[in-house]
Amino acid sequence: MKILTSNPVSDPASVMYRRCTVDLKSGKMRLEDVPCRNLEDVLGGFGRSFQVLAERKISHAYCDENPLIVNTGLLTGSSAMTGMRTYFSGYSPLKESKKGLPAAIWSTGSGNFGAKFKWTGLDELIFENRSEKPVYVLIRETPDGPKVELKPAEQLLGLSTHEKMMLLQKEYNGAHFATIGPAGEQWENVYMGAVALSTDNQLKSGEDKMRFAGRGGMGSLMGYKNILALVAQSSDKIKPLTPEVQKVNINVVKGGGSGRLQPISRGGGGGTWAAYDVLQVFHAVPVNNFRPQGNDLPEKLFRENVEKEYLIKSQACYRCGITCHNNIHEKLEDGTSGAFLAKFDYEPLNLLGTNIGIHDAGQAARLIHLCDNYGMDSISLGVTISYLLSYNERHPENPLLNGAHFGDFEKITELVKQAGLGNLPDIGRGSKRLSENCGETSYAYHVKGLELPAYQPETNPGYAWAIAGGHMSMGTYGLLTREGKSDIDSWVEGITRTKLQIVGFDMIGLCKFFDITKGICTQMVVDCLRSEFNIDVTIEDLAASVRRAFLLGLALEFRQGYEKSEFTLPAEVREHPNLNIKLPNITSPEFISELQKKVWEIFDPELEGLLSKYEQPTVAREP
Amino acid sequence: MKVTIKLIGPFRIGRFKEEVREYPSALSVRDLIEEFRIPVNLLGIVLINGIHARVDDQLNDGDTVILLPFIDGG
Ligand code: SF4
Repeated sequence: MKILTSNPVSDPASVMYRRCTVDLKSGKMRLEDVPCRNLEDVLGGFGRSFQVLAERKISHAYCDENPLIVNTGLLTGSSAMTGMRTYFSGYSPLKESKKGLPAAIWSTGSGNFGAKFKWTGLDELIFENRSEKPVYVLIRETPDGPKVELKPAEQLLGLSTHEKMMLLQKEYNGAHFATIGPAGEQWENVYMGAVALSTDNQLKSGEDKMRFAGRGGMGSLMGYKNILALVAQSSDKIKPLTPEVQKVNINVVKGGGSGRLQPISRGGGGGTWAAYDVLQVFHAVPVNNFRPQGNDLPEKLFRENVEKEYLIKSQACYRCGITCHNNIHEKLEDGTSGAFLAKFDYEPLNLLGTNIGIHDAGQAARLIHLCDNYGMDSISLGVTISYLLSYNERHPENPLLNGAHFGDFEKITELVKQAGLGNLPDIGRGSKRLSENCGETSYAYHVKGLELPAYQPETNPGYAWAIAGGHMSMGTYGLLTREGKSDIDSWVEGITRTKLQIVGFDMIGLCKFFDITKGICTQMVVDCLRSEFNIDVTIEDLAASVRRAFLLGLALEFRQGYEKSEFTLPAEVREHPNLNIKLPNITSPEFISELQKKVWEIFDPELEGLLSKYEQPTVAREP
Repeated sequence: MKVTIKLIGPFRIGRFKEEVREYPSALSVRDLIEEFRIPVNLLGIVLINGIHARVDDQLNDGDTVILLPFIDGG
């Protein structure tokens, strides 16, 4: 970034980001410094990429005009803790309106790729068209600035996400990697392909401890474009810590905001896994396709039970003191650590565990491991499989595919493998399409075509307004469970003001765990921006920018054909209320209809005319 | 008065899962948090008889208090 002003709010054009546009068909490239249009462009991430997407009307995700945008946030690669994020944006092969138009989406992950990418000198990479032959993209730092090259990638075909990284690592010292797996390569039959991001720990240990940008099928879009991997090679360029950023980092680690994600051995809560214990108190841990049974089955995957048999290592992305990863290893007879099995974050563990009837930690680990190595989004995969298992339970005489049922580890493993290889489009294309093909949509747990994360919809009507997947683009998932709010006004306030601010993290380059309850509109972020870039941005500026970016996302959903009736929870929630869940009912038809009315009363006027400035004819860009 | 206390997740480590305790006089949830040294930065939810409550709420004879950590993302 070139920052020639201290006031990016009133003078955004004096901030320029470096963008490379690559035409995959011709191999032409254009490197340019692009002046920012507004604070969203300055902050980056989806705040910037959605403005590019808004300029294009796309009717099919797999078309030349649909770009794949890879970018970072302003604080990616900075000395602010958790500044490691990379963003992948485009029109989604998976998330689509009932009219069949693809929704704009972004997905993001940590690992070290984002910082390396930033340190090459590039802020954004836009891929136009598609390559005829498989390629990988080398982005490297040179004395003349960042250089981008397309390299033949036949040797990578068919390799897992991790294997691709290991092979490339032999050639590129000091680099980090973003790869797709076999699933992304089979984009025609797999719409839920994820992008894996390498971690330092992984490259040093050789163990497949990647992080993922999973949501919305950005790995499949990458596969469609015939890009199998991105390599970012540069020297490390972390600035020396200033006293201001040091103070913020200490506050992030010790001030309480992230304490619950830190290792238990350090007095923390042990990462997102602890959600199991909390939600079980309310019988709100998803079981067998989101139908908690009011029993203690979920407890089998409680940490305290898993650690009797396995060794849990708390590990982190490079330089991050939060240390939120829980990596499960075999426990050898002498109590020491054996082979790495899988990462146990709450979502993959539940959705490839309890929610498909798997209550054995070793089996859940195997499924997560397969999903990661084939390169699929664990949320979409888990929820599509749970739909299938539910269908088979309802139709024992005429089951689908291999007839797998809840808990049938062998058959479920086969489903994961075959989906990952592109042999099972019924699974690979997600729960919306599968349920529509089956003619039974009420128990397909997606909203607007994107599968729900592992928080029961009964606890979160806010899902309906999430713009890029349930919990990470609408922070209302704890409003009932954690805050005990069951009145309309609190929910309207949450959806339309406070909880939508969670998406700010997906602009600025920080992990949500930096301060998940307060978001990015805090003095901590203001201090980091001033110290790192000498820019003055207020908390109010940040809040306004995040809101504009969110609203643009919402406006884009309407442009892609969504109707208000699609902003709704799976019908089963309303048709068969689950009385096992011990929380106030906030998904009754009356509550939902009142909520819809009040939320749209606030959003509607703000959405009017929002897209007009972006409307342009659609063409694939020539660099 | 008798109060049942249930601890969830990491709060159990070095403490207990569930205990019934006898107290001579009125007390609040905060008193329990201090007595059991529950780390306040991890405390996310307090339930009294299954209903969300606040740390300054007073307890009555026969109440069940559950102390839960925060939940966060996935
Ligand atoms: S909070 Fe977790 S995922 Fe985020 S940077 Fe730190 S260790 Fe990585």
